[in-house]
Amino acid sequence: MMANSLPNIDDKTLLSLRNQYPGAFGATSKQLIRTLVVVSLVAYTVASLWYFEVWRLASASDRAWRLISAMFNWQDMANWQYAQIYSGIAQTLAMAFLGTILATIAALFIGFLAARNTMPISPIRHLVRRMLDVLRGVDQLVWGLVFVRAVGLGPLAGVLAIFVSDTGTLSKLYSEAIENIDRKQVEGIRATGAGPIKTVRYGYLPQVMPVFISQSLYFFESSTRSATILGLVGAGGVGMIIIERFRANLFDQVTFVVLNVLVCIFVIDWLSKKIREKFIGETRH
Amino acid sequence: MLKIEHLTKSFATRNAVSDISLSIPQGQMVGIIGRSGAGKSTLLRMLNRLADPTSGSIYFENRDIAKLSGKALYEWRASCAMVFQQFNLVGRLDVLTNVLTGRLYHHGIMSSMLQMFSASERAFAIKALDRLGMAHTALQQADTLSGGQMQRVAIARALVQQPKILLADEPIASLDPLNAKIVMDALRTINREDGITVLANLHTLDTARTYCDRIIGLQDGVLVFDGPPEKLTLEMAREIYGAEAEEAFSEGMTSTALAGVPAKERLTERDLQRHSDMSMS
Amino acid sequence: MASLTVDSSLAADDPVQLFEQRRRELARSKRAMNLLFLALFAAAVVASVYVSRFYPERLASGLPRIFEYFGTIMPNLELDKLFLPRGDNGKAVPGSIAYWYSDFWTYLRLIAETVAMALTATILGAVAAFLLCFPASRNLAPNSVVYHLSRRFMEICRGVPEILYALIFVFAIGIGPLAGVIAIAIHSAGALGKLFSEVNENASMRPVEGIRGVGGNWFEEMRYGVVPQVLPNFASYTLLRFEINVRSSSIVGFVGAGGIGQELNRVISLYSDDRVVAVLLMIVVLVTLIDVFSERLRLAFIGKENFR
Repeated sequence: MMANSLPNIDDKTLLSLRNQYPGAFGATSKQLIRTLVVVSLVAYTVASLWYFEVWRLASASDRAWRLISAMFNWQDMANWQYAQIYSGIAQTLAMAFLGTILATIAALFIGFLAARNTMPISPIRHLVRRMLDVLRGVDQLVWGLVFVRAVGLGPLAGVLAIFVSDTGTLSKLYSEAIENIDRKQVEGIRATGAGPIKTVRYGYLPQVMPVFISQSLYFFESSTRSATILGLVGAGGVGMIIIERFRANLFDQVTFVVLNVLVCIFVIDWLSKKIREKFIGETRH
Repeated sequence: MLKIEHLTKSFATRNAVSDISLSIPQGQMVGIIGRSGAGKSTLLRMLNRLADPTSGSIYFENRDIAKLSGKALYEWRASCAMVFQQFNLVGRLDVLTNVLTGRLYHHGIMSSMLQMFSASERAFAIKALDRLGMAHTALQQADTLSGGQMQRVAIARALVQQPKILLADEPIASLDPLNAKIVMDALRTINREDGITVLANLHTLDTARTYCDRIIGLQDGVLVFDGPPEKLTLEMAREIYGAEAEEAFSEGMTSTALAGVPAKERLTERDLQRHSDMSMS
Repeated sequence: MASLTVDSSLAADDPVQLFEQRRRELARSKRAMNLLFLALFAAAVVASVYVSRFYPERLASGLPRIFEYFGTIMPNLELDKLFLPRGDNGKAVPGSIAYWYSDFWTYLRLIAETVAMALTATILGAVAAFLLCFPASRNLAPNSVVYHLSRRFMEICRGVPEILYALIFVFAIGIGPLAGVIAIAIHSAGALGKLFSEVNENASMRPVEGIRGVGGNWFEEMRYGVVPQVLPNFASYTLLRFEINVRSSSIVGFVGAGGIGQELNRVISLYSDDRVVAVLLMIVVLVTLIDVFSERLRLAFIGKENFR
């Protein structure tokens, strides 16, 4: 039996099949476009890497090896300033916590100002939204840098940076939650003769509160992550400890601090997931 | 000749297939019947080695299939095609490429990753599609087809594998009566014309009686019937199907029986002998 | 005491009394929980205020300085000189846009470099994620050793912020955009790899089984069984990552890893205050443009999917 080889198909049959189903043999236009996209992406990547001087990777190997070996060769561990390291981590957590709480409070008000159904005056709504866009458009680290210049080195600048950028994002998410509520419940409250404030309290808040809480918890999580690097520009927290150690070439301590931070973030992720599951009854954000 | 000896598959608490021995001559069309969970699927999947047997052996051309691994295993799967209840086509690829995947075993890593199939392979695939009346859909995306069309594409894929055995796991269970008939007719045609052994799990008794040379009945993983359809008495069938008997019999009335079944043309042992002689030469 | 017992005996047949009693019991049990929660929350706030030295007097002295600073970084534009061109000696007139944006072409080159960094890093990251995501999917991994190895590797990649990687690579290979590209690519590989493997885990296994049934090896199962199903989702996630990476590549410059961030860091720390807003404005415009563009493209992808 010749199971592994094709039966012979003579040229005439092949030709007639080719004529009958031209698309099945030559490359289709879809395939051509796909190939073109892949080729241009590869060409771009090669060209850009050339522009970025990729060959420096080869000459850097010596330095890189020294760095890596220094990072994983922990020496003199008894004299590391653990108190300073852990207070830095605590400071990062505190910054993230305060920043998120302040942002939540601010977003509670701004969210209603930016939602279509609670702010009928469109110029005000648009102004608020554009301002939120600016707050979000500028990266948190940039805000950190700006606030460090304004109020000096330290955690205050960090809290403000987290506050400002989280306010931008949380307000937008809150306003979306407000816009997505069930209109019928609000009408029910309004029909009882409640004023605007009472309508918000009894018609809107019960619907949006679970969403708000879960969003804020989620942002506490992500703020701890971003707060660790705010210190790189001097805005307090464990990032300052990392960059100090790095500048002083104490790479082993850098590794130690980063590992600690990773464990911390992992624990917070896990805790916040548990809290959200327990109190809000959602399984996945 | 496919020889199964003491084949057993056990899961944590029970045996899905226990101690089955069979021998199936080349070119036979075999229907495996039994209620859901009787071990029909597990048996077929072990033959293709999609499932590993717990013990026992499967002999084909003097090789123990149950012990194959690596390249030899892929080669076995390529020569022992499988058709599934849910067709298992790649929905987002076109029909032609789906059929061409039947040739994957014969390709190296480069050509298969880049979807490079030769012109003669394409021609072969189109001919296979044409045999099942599906050539006009060759460039369509597979998930735009109806269930019956997908199953025919799946059979075309099996054909380009040039298999010696074709396993069909409930090939018509998801199809309407008309498509079920088309698919079963196609399977029998392949069996008769190409001399490919066909083993099909069939839920409905009537289909098995109509199309198969031999019926194998499984009950809780144990072989309880093996013989030509006319030997299968009504009591025996009721025994095999148990509580599902009514369903299996009545479905039979409405499925392949609907369009009027052509006269049976069952092969005799001598025909089978001739077939295997032909394929040997 | 005596009156209380009388009350409760009365309550047995008065529905309002009965309800009130039930309510009180419920409120009591809930109150304990709420109080505990509130106390914990208050303690956390107090501790945070103490640890981050976020005292009212510091805030009070800091706030005016913030507004003061935002005053100083505003450009000094004068309406009558706004559109004055550069003079004959090539110098721009103070108060004109040309003066404010006298380094416009430098900024533009850096903005282009930032986008290029993000694009290259996204491509490299997506390719790495593509290679990693199949062994890192529970349903596709050839064995558990490979599965856990690739999972852990991706976790390390995405666990460390890109700017930390940038810091390390700037040290290892020197100042310049290459360090930023590699840093962002590593982080993207981890983040995208996780998303990709989630997509894989939701893919139908039937085509995979079909390919296995015809004798395909693991690579062929992935190539024909999985990739056609998941590719549109991969593309959409990659575009989303590109948006994020544009933001990242505009800040890795703070540690010397190239892009517009390097210039921003320079103008902020060199007290060339009106330039800060000039650069920030360009970054905001860039990020907004990229977002809009990428959203369109993603909609086109998903729209096409729905159309089919």
